[in-house]
Amino acid sequence: MGRRIFLLGLVLALLGTPLAVDKNNFKTCEQSSFCRRLRKYEPGNSVYHLDLSSLQVNENSIEASLVNSEVPAANLKLHLQAVVGNIFRVTVDEVNGLHPRYKPQFALNGEPQVNKLEVLERNLETVTVKCGSNKVKVTANPLKLEFYQSEQLVAVVNGKGLFAFEHYRNKPAEGETDVQIKDDPGAWEENFKSHHDSKPRGPSAIGADFSFPGSERAYGLPEHGDYLPLRTTGTGGNDPYRLYNLDVFEYELDSTMATYGSIPVLYAHGTKHTVGVFWHNAAETWVDINNSKDGNMVSSLVNLVSGSKTEANVDARFMSESGAMDFFVLMGPTPRDAVKQYASLTGVHTLPQLFALAYHQSRWNYNDQDDVTNVVAKFDIHNMPLDVMWLDIEYTDSKKYFTWDPIKFSQPENMVSNLTGTGRKLVVIIDPHIKREAGYFLHEDALKYDFYVKNKEGNVYEGWCWPGSSSYLDVYNPAAQDYYKKLYSLEFFKGTTHDVWLWNDMNEPSVFNGPEVTMPKDMVHYGGWEHRDVHNEYASAYIRITHQGLLLRSPHRRPFILTRGHFAGSQRFAATWTGDNEAKWSHLAASLPMCLSEALSGLSFCGADVGGFFHNPDPELLQRWYQGGIWLPFFRAHAHIDTRRREPFLYPDEVMSNIRHSLRLRYAHLPLWYTLFWEHETTGEPVIRPLFYHYPEDEKVLDIDNTVLVGQSVLARPVTTAGETSVEVYLPGGSNAKWYDIEDYNLYQGGSHKVPVSLDKHVVFYRGGSIIPRKDRPRRSSTVMHNDPFTLYVALDSNNAASGTLYVDDYQSFEYKNDKKYLYVHFKFENNKLTSSLIDKTDYATEEWIERVIILGPVNKHVSKAKITSKSLGVATLEVSYDAEYKSLTIRKPAVSVREPFTIELV
Amino acid sequence: MVTSQTIFGIVVPTTQIEKRKIPIKPDVSPAIIDRVVKNRWNKKQILWSMVLLVPPLSLVYPTFSSSRRTKMNIFTSFRISNLNLLFLILPFIGVGRSSVEVPRPRGVSLSRLALYDPEKDFTCFDGSNTIPFDQVNDDYCDCPDGSDEPGTSACPGGSFQCTNAGFKPEILSSDRVNDGICDCCDGTDEYSGKKTCVNNCLEVGRAAREEAARLAELFKVGKQLRAELAQEGQKMKNEKQEKLNELAKNREEAENVRLEREEIKKKAEELENKALEYYRELEDQYKKKKAEQEAEKLKEEALENFKKFDSNQDGLIDIAEIQSRSSFDRDRNGQVSEEEAKLFLNNQDSVELETFIEKSWPLMKPFVSIDSSMYKPPVTDSELEGEEQEGHEEQEKSLGELEEGEIEQDEEDEEEAEPEETQEEEHKVEYDEETQKLVDQATEARNQYDDADRDVKSINDQIRQIEESLKKDFGPEEEFASLEGQCFEFKNLEYTYKLCPFEKTVQIPNSNSMETSLGRWGKWDGPSGNSYSAMLYDNGQNCWNGPNRSTKVNLFCGGENKVTSVSEPNRCEYAFDFETPAACHIAGSRDGEADVHDEL
Repeated sequence: MGRRIFLLGLVLALLGTPLAVDKNNFKTCEQSSFCRRLRKYEPGNSVYHLDLSSLQVNENSIEASLVNSEVPAANLKLHLQAVVGNIFRVTVDEVNGLHPRYKPQFALNGEPQVNKLEVLERNLETVTVKCGSNKVKVTANPLKLEFYQSEQLVAVVNGKGLFAFEHYRNKPAEGETDVQIKDDPGAWEENFKSHHDSKPRGPSAIGADFSFPGSERAYGLPEHGDYLPLRTTGTGGNDPYRLYNLDVFEYELDSTMATYGSIPVLYAHGTKHTVGVFWHNAAETWVDINNSKDGNMVSSLVNLVSGSKTEANVDARFMSESGAMDFFVLMGPTPRDAVKQYASLTGVHTLPQLFALAYHQSRWNYNDQDDVTNVVAKFDIHNMPLDVMWLDIEYTDSKKYFTWDPIKFSQPENMVSNLTGTGRKLVVIIDPHIKREAGYFLHEDALKYDFYVKNKEGNVYEGWCWPGSSSYLDVYNPAAQDYYKKLYSLEFFKGTTHDVWLWNDMNEPSVFNGPEVTMPKDMVHYGGWEHRDVHNEYASAYIRITHQGLLLRSPHRRPFILTRGHFAGSQRFAATWTGDNEAKWSHLAASLPMCLSEALSGLSFCGADVGGFFHNPDPELLQRWYQGGIWLPFFRAHAHIDTRRREPFLYPDEVMSNIRHSLRLRYAHLPLWYTLFWEHETTGEPVIRPLFYHYPEDEKVLDIDNTVLVGQSVLARPVTTAGETSVEVYLPGGSNAKWYDIEDYNLYQGGSHKVPVSLDKHVVFYRGGSIIPRKDRPRRSSTVMHNDPFTLYVALDSNNAASGTLYVDDYQSFEYKNDKKYLYVHFKFENNKLTSSLIDKTDYATEEWIERVIILGPVNKHVSKAKITSKSLGVATLEVSYDAEYKSLTIRKPAVSVREPFTIELV
Repeated sequence: MVTSQTIFGIVVPTTQIEKRKIPIKPDVSPAIIDRVVKNRWNKKQILWSMVLLVPPLSLVYPTFSSSRRTKMNIFTSFRISNLNLLFLILPFIGVGRSSVEVPRPRGVSLSRLALYDPEKDFTCFDGSNTIPFDQVNDDYCDCPDGSDEPGTSACPGGSFQCTNAGFKPEILSSDRVNDGICDCCDGTDEYSGKKTCVNNCLEVGRAAREEAARLAELFKVGKQLRAELAQEGQKMKNEKQEKLNELAKNREEAENVRLEREEIKKKAEELENKALEYYRELEDQYKKKKAEQEAEKLKEEALENFKKFDSNQDGLIDIAEIQSRSSFDRDRNGQVSEEEAKLFLNNQDSVELETFIEKSWPLMKPFVSIDSSMYKPPVTDSELEGEEQEGHEEQEKSLGELEEGEIEQDEEDEEEAEPEETQEEEHKVEYDEETQKLVDQATEARNQYDDADRDVKSINDQIRQIEESLKKDFGPEEEFASLEGQCFEFKNLEYTYKLCPFEKTVQIPNSNSMETSLGRWGKWDGPSGNSYSAMLYDNGQNCWNGPNRSTKVNLFCGGENKVTSVSEPNRCEYAFDFETPAACHIAGSRDGEADVHDEL
């Protein structure tokens, strides 16, 4: 969604500035008082020590007083707890502080289940505890926590002595110097540009340093327009990675600046082990990264010459403006484990309806109801599949949400019924700002029931957003939540149906005239929390209401919501996308690391606006974008209101044909996507994965972020530069590994390859050893594919074996969960025999069947028959043919239901 | 023949949408369509059955709508059963009539029937494969070209033909088969039994025929009208050409007249000039004297003001003395800055009397006089900012008005032939009789010449106009010519749009009359081979942060000239639909000669 055309745009136009992010609108660490204060700490001078005489040992945790020797009055307590699944949780909070300190309310998927903690050793200097094969050695003075996987030290907290905890305090009298705060001018009030932050509670920052011995890279901390591996930050270099949900106009790439979302989880990864840290805090946060590989040139040269290698190390330092200190150490030991550990804490995206994984067509804005109907008709005329049409803000009556423009969208019911008539759905936008207009029910109710965010004087806060003067729903107020979620009901939001879904935008929240385009930090939410404390969680709290509202409205349909702002745990409520990107090759390239980073951080359902939001893509870029976009989980084309129309049917035949090809590839792989989302829900594994996720021991993949693994079986390396005739692709797994080009079935061994890329080429491979279920019959929408048959692609590995899974249900309801109505099928191919079996003891009366099996890389080409055995078919003979051009065997029409276990043996 | 029709406001080939051309609002769902049509069917079933060749499938061959429980059944049975029984639509022996449908595999058109011989193996059309005939339409794709599965969705890119008895056959992409959506008016694309489609081909066919007849009639009339327009256009062209010839002749005459009169004028002015020499000298003397008087007066004024400004009586005017007088606040910011003051002091810190008289006073005088009449001092800083700004605006406005007034005055002055005489009424020169006569004669000669010159210019203007118009392309037979000079309006809730062919397109809000140009006549812009089917108007008013507005006008055959729709498919790119008899020959336009014959 777009932008402050009238305010910012006009100013830019007048100044003649090229349209791009105006960095001056956003703070640097140096301009942020707490970041500046904490960054002044000198390493090795920690003033914090644990009073181990106060140590209390419980079944699942230990706790002790933490003393700041400079300010003994500060009354702190440290709590170390074992959490089920190889996780430790560390909490530091004030005891009887001046003000309570905030802990996020919606990030965790319930309280983590605790585990038994065993004390191995304790004295007044140290205490060592153990849980499973992991242990933590706690050193009292200065405070230091060392985390071991078995006997391997993998993480150290406060090893550098940069731990910080600014307890709440009274403002020092004139002339008094605060030993901790020193005299930072922004500690008690702070100005940025024309904005004033009154800071009524004074300084309250927290911070801690983490070292990860043996780690070669750090990943995570979305959302940034940056590479997948985190880069070294620090004085003179990059600003720290900033986590502060902001509506950044034309965000820049290769940047650590904050964007729309913030997920404070970081993975430190080396070829031997992986460990993660989840910093459970919703306030503005900065994270400094230092990677030893970026150290001075001399030592690298010495290493190179001598061949010896000092141990790799990554340091990270979290700094937050307020809130309690609460972090989880995810003990791995593999990337896969660590990512699943994070998912076990913050939850997963529940299985979406199938349509949500299909193609979404959006634009700011489809002009009117006829426009919507016409666009769909053109997709049909040109045989291009499409599932969802989107309406941006202009469908409303003057930006009053939950209303329709009385002229342009006078008959939403008819429009929706035209869509659903061909299996399509509608998504409409609803934003959290509320137009302050007398007579607008939402504004009047919000005033009447006191649902708005307040300023520090207790009056309703007014900001400026799309509708002009607006106020903001206090999403932390339970009564407001309860009221708002009912607005989504069909009785209330007239014109919507069970096939209309939601888009929540601008929920950082975006305030055009606020500091850094958001809400001032001294605004006050329900419960007395300052906006400062809860900011990064606002979007999550908001989409949680939408999620509940949709469940209330359509209890038998899985909700679909798209959100721009996001935080840890947002995956339980919504999908996300990379916001207002640009029609540039660099933004196409950035969509991969950005979504991979989100996926590692729990938010698998991620995509980027296909074609780029701002500006006009040329046909080459657009085609390549479709070719890349189909390999990200959320697949939507979207465009700014000032751009030219770019629906694929508007292009010449060859462009249209290439895009149709991409769309059909997406639809053909929907069974794979759907299965992966089911597996995501049940295991926490991300749907898309960077190479290091599955190949953690391969040094060569550490920095690869132009390649995405869809599950474990598909490797896509989209073309993201103009005019390419070939691209370099690295296929992992070593020389024994086999990879098959999905279009011509050419076989590649593991290693680097140069692949020619004509304009219709998808650089995508099936991993030898996997079985990929596809639906190869093109249809106009995914909804009408529910009963279509599968083709199994059996990509053989060097042992001539392969396996894969397929998940099937009604593609829309909760019966899979409530009534176990689903099929989870395991396919295995070995010794020339394909076996299908049900993994879970469940059933679903599907009509889907298997129409074809294609075996890639068969050993024996001279096979002409196969024997199928199943309960209903008995034993039957199938035809098998070898295709010399595609070097594959095709088993003709097994015609067996996927519901039924079977074997097919080549004879 | 390629035909097209508008459904949901888009022009699409008729083959794809004729089935929906039942008299139903376009924006109801197929489900509703089904219901409506079903009711119609029930009411008229008996009547129809008398003439109907193929009644709904379920009546003919119940198997197709009821026996398929699951797909599994189909496949197993296909493998083992006699194909003729299951995949062929058996001949329907008409109810009391003698018509017979030829048996053929599902989805095959009559023209291709010969390629499907149940007695032989089937060879894919592209020759890539030969399969036993029982693998035709067995829901598995054996032929890359899709030819073995004309009746199922098994082959990507395959095609399926609906017979659509009562209407006309239609070729669908085979992915429409059994997808739960009724695409064919006879419903034959949905035979899985999961979706019940109602055969509404007769209604659709009748509606299509009626529509076709209407369009054919319209086209007939339109063609006639167009021929007339072409005639008129040709006539107009000829008239213009004639007029051009006539004007050319007139121009020659007029130029000759002008030449003659120029001679006369020259002579008369020579005489006049000579006669006026004496008076000119008198005039010079008078002016000189007047200038001296003025200078003296200025000097006196200067002296007087010097004394007034020289507050400290030191014989010098200094900066402070200027600053104390708000009259010299040139930028009206409420303060006379040092710079402002120095401007009046010949860029020195002070001036003595002589410099003051020469340099300073002439600069100061206008300010002093304004001050004494209109100038109000600005409000002080202590007052509210808003008020201060208002005050400024008022000042600026009043100054602006004043200046404008002055400028207008100047222009009027310049227009007068001899301004001094008119302005200074007290100094009116009286000529002697003879001189006056010469002056009068010269004036008359000048007037005569001016008239002749105007005539020539006017003729040239007309010629240019006609030539421009002749340069415009009014169609191969001049059939669009009569549209020039007319305007056609289209009004929606927000705006009135105006198309003035060969001139411009505009948008006028209904709330006021601020006209926005959506483009000026550019060129014919139809696709190649059919360029007269669309017009482009470009270089309209610029869009903020975007392109200049432009309009594409799509032309359609119609009984009268009429703008039928306006849209903005891209920001600042408008599309008008315009019906005109002049377009009643355009291929692919809304011509009525639709192909609606029955296959049977």
